[in-house]
Amino acid sequence: MRDFFAGMGFVIAGIVTIITAQQFPTLPSLQYGPSLFPSLIGGGFCLGGAVLAFNALWLRKKAVVQEVHDNPALADPPSKKTNWAMLLPPISIVFYILASEYLGAMLTIMVILFLLMLLRKTSPYIALATSVAVSSAIYFIFSRYLLVPLPQGVLLGGSLPWIS
Amino acid sequence: MDILMNGVGLVLNFETILVILAASLFGIFVGAVPGLTATMAVALLVPLTFYMDTIPAIAAIVTTSAMAIFAGDIPGTYLNIPGTPASAAYVGESYALAKKGRAREALGINLVCSVFGGIFGTIVLIVVAQSLAEVALQFSAFEYFWLAVLGLSCSIFISVGSRTKAFLSLLFGILLSTVGLDMMSGAPRFTFGVPDLMAGINFIPVMIGMFALNELMSYYGSKSEKKQITIVDNDSVFHHVPGYIKRYWRNMVRGSSIGTLIGALPGAGADIAAWISYGVGKGRSKESAKYGTGNIEGIVDASSANNSGISGAWVPALVFGIPGDSITAIVIGVLYMKGMNPGPTIFMDGSGLIYALFMVFILANLMMLPIGYMAIRLSKFFILTPSRVLMPIILCFCIVGAFAINNSVVDIWLMLIVGFVAYVLAVNDFPMAPAILGLVLGSVVENNFMSAMLRTGGDLTSFFARPISAGLGIAVILLWCSPLLIKAYRYQQHKSGRAY
Repeated sequence: MRDFFAGMGFVIAGIVTIITAQQFPTLPSLQYGPSLFPSLIGGGFCLGGAVLAFNALWLRKKAVVQEVHDNPALADPPSKKTNWAMLLPPISIVFYILASEYLGAMLTIMVILFLLMLLRKTSPYIALATSVAVSSAIYFIFSRYLLVPLPQGVLLGGSLPWIS
Repeated sequence: MDILMNGVGLVLNFETILVILAASLFGIFVGAVPGLTATMAVALLVPLTFYMDTIPAIAAIVTTSAMAIFAGDIPGTYLNIPGTPASAAYVGESYALAKKGRAREALGINLVCSVFGGIFGTIVLIVVAQSLAEVALQFSAFEYFWLAVLGLSCSIFISVGSRTKAFLSLLFGILLSTVGLDMMSGAPRFTFGVPDLMAGINFIPVMIGMFALNELMSYYGSKSEKKQITIVDNDSVFHHVPGYIKRYWRNMVRGSSIGTLIGALPGAGADIAAWISYGVGKGRSKESAKYGTGNIEGIVDASSANNSGISGAWVPALVFGIPGDSITAIVIGVLYMKGMNPGPTIFMDGSGLIYALFMVFILANLMMLPIGYMAIRLSKFFILTPSRVLMPIILCFCIVGAFAINNSVVDIWLMLIVGFVAYVLAVNDFPMAPAILGLVLGSVVENNFMSAMLRTGGDLTSFFARPISAGLGIAVILLWCSPLLIKAYRYQQHKSGRAY
């Protein structure tokens, strides 16, 4: 049934794309305006999503019929359990965006590294040493050599020794 | 001659050689650590290449991808877990050999076949690309439109699994390519009032999200793996290689040819090349019953193919600007960022750039022999690198890398959103390669369509008015109709079979 919901998701995304595309301003001299390609993509989403959803329904119906003919395994395939730990990387990224202006990029990266390693049962000493070394190295390479203005943070007074 | 010397000068300098060496080590490391893929390695590398000159930047990507594809065989041999999808076809063979105490022997022949495949593909690239480029010079917007549509269509028809899912994945990529100001009218599309999106979606955060963040989420979503090596490997790496080459040289040539050909098709990468070559090898072998039990022949077929596929993918990328796989799609994005237009003019610009590129290919493949040998000897070190320490570090590189391109937090959000969508699609078995081709080729299709229509006053039949354009158009239509034609043919065969 996951395919059914994925298909319906695409149908909805297709409708939203088409509606949004209709609002794009166009020039009367152009035969094909800026909404042409987005509308075609939206139409493709609706078509492909509908095929996916109907196919999933059809397969399910077929599996139920087969169940009657002594093959119960096909009727309800075991669904994969969602492991919410997969949200750890996105949460860490949101944390970086929100905290780096205050803590500075180096400290924020250090906190992310340390916590993620601890959550995967790394020894606290190794996690601490690696976090300090890696966050300093990343900050040093990107700020000093590549001249990327990583946030220095209000907490550290706005300047670190190797940034001029 | 001067152009050739210019090209040699672009490669044989301290910076480029150092970059090739560093990229080799990086590629070997990423390929050998289970869970990290060649495409992920390249996506992580791109923010750094942004700060390099063109040749070192491309050298870094070429070397990393070639090394990572070979190194993917190391965890496959020791743990039965392919390091990259391109090693999946023959992982059973190499693991079976490893269990018999022949791990290094399997990896030795693997390495030599990878080098052979890579150089074979490069020679084909050198020979074919120049003459194809001369043809490509005649192309106008009509031909480029059809060529890009053909590339996008191939990515659907060649992808493994559901075609509907590949089609939707492709549309997702094309939709991303429409974000920004419209080329003709200047109207903002899907920018949601964010000024950073006016110039279009930045390619690099999308890459990082699609290939690195997606993999990281898969890792954290899976149960913690405990890597334990039970394989004993005291055998020699190269001792048996000359004998195998003498016996299986035909397989090496056939595998490399298949790999180059498959690699050159848009959307079909090294993984599909390896599967097809393995299948063909098994079908034609006198010892096909031995396949799956630790047969060197299977390894020869597929490992020649996956590395030649990497080189083959560069043919359409360099000649037409149409990427052959996800890695060349990334490179095309890098070339655009550096203000270069991949296409036939790259062969005629007189700067020697193309010779420098060919040389980088050969150097990267030759470098694989000593570095690959070292990697085989140090296999256990790579495999036992703890992912629980490595993955958070990669995450931090993703964040900083996405930010570094424009020094903008919007790019981090973009990486996050695309990575999340890519993860949801990937767990539902949607392939990612069509999406990335859609992102790169979407604007090529739209811009060429619009400029062709502007030229002909909206006359759609003009797409069939020029001979090459009409030929390409018919090829696209035939490709779209091929499932129906195949079904009709089978039905006819079935019907005539019953009649007799």
